[in-house]
Amino acid sequence: MELTELLGLPFVQRMLVAGLLASVACGIVGTLVVVRRIVFISGGIAHTAFGGIGLAYYLQDRLAWTWFEPTWGAALFAMGAAAVVAAPQLRRRLREDSTIGVRWVVGMALGVLLLGLVDRTRVQVQDPVSLLFGNILLIDTHDLWLMAALVAVILLAVVLLFKDLQILTFDEEFARLSGVHVPFTNLLLLVLISLTVVVLIKVVGVVLVIAMLTIPAAIAGLAVKNLRAMMVLAVVIAIITTLGGAILSLILDLPPGATIVLLMSALFGVALGVRSLR
Amino acid sequence: MTTPAIEIHGLSAGYGGEVVIEDVDLTVPELGYVGIIGPNGGGKTTLLKVVLGLLPPAAGSVEVFGESPRSGRRHVGYVPQFPQFDQDFPISVRDVVVMGRRGRRGLIPGWGRDDRAAARRALEAVDMAEHAAAPIGELSGGQRQRVYIARALASQPRVLILDEPTASVDTAAQEHVYELLGQLNERMAIVLVTHDIGIISSHVKQVACLNRSLFTHGDQTLTAEMLEQAYQCPVELIAHGVPHRVLAGHHGCEDPGCCSTGHHEE
Repeated sequence: MELTELLGLPFVQRMLVAGLLASVACGIVGTLVVVRRIVFISGGIAHTAFGGIGLAYYLQDRLAWTWFEPTWGAALFAMGAAAVVAAPQLRRRLREDSTIGVRWVVGMALGVLLLGLVDRTRVQVQDPVSLLFGNILLIDTHDLWLMAALVAVILLAVVLLFKDLQILTFDEEFARLSGVHVPFTNLLLLVLISLTVVVLIKVVGVVLVIAMLTIPAAIAGLAVKNLRAMMVLAVVIAIITTLGGAILSLILDLPPGATIVLLMSALFGVALGVRSLR
Repeated sequence: MTTPAIEIHGLSAGYGGEVVIEDVDLTVPELGYVGIIGPNGGGKTTLLKVVLGLLPPAAGSVEVFGESPRSGRRHVGYVPQFPQFDQDFPISVRDVVVMGRRGRRGLIPGWGRDDRAAARRALEAVDMAEHAAAPIGELSGGQRQRVYIARALASQPRVLILDEPTASVDTAAQEHVYELLGQLNERMAIVLVTHDIGIISSHVKQVACLNRSLFTHGDQTLTAEMLEQAYQCPVELIAHGVPHRVLAGHHGCEDPGCCSTGHHEE
């Protein structure tokens, strides 16, 4: 099929819009994740969200809560994970990476367990592989509106509180002394990560979310030394690799999530090579 | 009579019931310049945390320009010892310095023209204006130290507090920093804290030794008794090479074996 022909198909158009929305979210929030070095925390949030997806299907089946979409379940669990990460009492008492590991596997196991209990003759469950690794081709118009709303919230929050997010990620002690509400801003950042995770799950799935949150921002960080410029460049890189990977996967009949992530990784390798040559 | 910059009475403080500093009295005048020295673990950081309102006192009182440490904070410019940031952080010198305006700007998004102007003036004051656009990670230790001083100055403080200001800086840059502090002292109080008594410069108007308790004569004379009380070791071992204009009343100790802190041993 010709590329122009492909681009005329409604599901391909939805795919491109979804890729754009996901790119904006992951470029902006991913930059904050990378500079604050909380990639692993973000991975924990993404995997916890899988439990919420399982719970949503389970409740659709058992309680006939058909309005309780998997996206809401993912959002609920991701936000819960964010709140736990932000809770200072827990942070002080436990080793942080251990608690991330526990939430990571509990989320996954719970998701698998609950999905297993769903009666598939009553509730149509998305293929687990596409839940884990994403399927940008399955996105419908309703999903797009939801994604657009989440991206709008993320953008608004970052624009309004850019100063405080920048001060917090740069120097937490100074943030505290200069009047930034550190616990609030910290929680806000984690909530933004949760919302981004929910958007990205639609595109690349639970497992590959970390790639979108990390790689475009990491590439941008090699090229620019300014937080705002890094966000803009990360968005551009994410758009190119997400849309490029999605179209490539269509033409070559490959899984889209994996194709997008490998394209990003290849670009990261090239960027590292270019930098070491300079 | 003017309000002192910092007024401390009978202060005790510590962590979880463990007392780190005890019964500390200190007055820093409006244009005072106090050097606080003392061994590592002597409570310097704890004292700073209380003055900055990050740690509540267990006993006694602390006032910053007549206010509680938390509300007096807006008069304070703080220069941390090793700013805990990542050298790769994508930020320019200009953007670091303008952060000093957060306390005045509040939650209004972005920075105003007056904020940028204050940041520019602060960079000029520390002689770093030509590096405004440079990434912070590309500066030398001495240049970076001056940028943090500029960040503190951008808030237009009435007292500047510095924790080990020259810990990561070479000797030439140290002189530069002290010269700058001397100039700044014409318009604001300065408190600097260090474990290295060799760097107490002739600019300082008042010296105090801190090791759990604070020992001071209220002027820049650093006596052998103060040092011995603070470091609990004979003065030759700790004050080797200290200029005589700083160290007064030097006298020997019969038992040099009592020192275990290891400062300036030869």
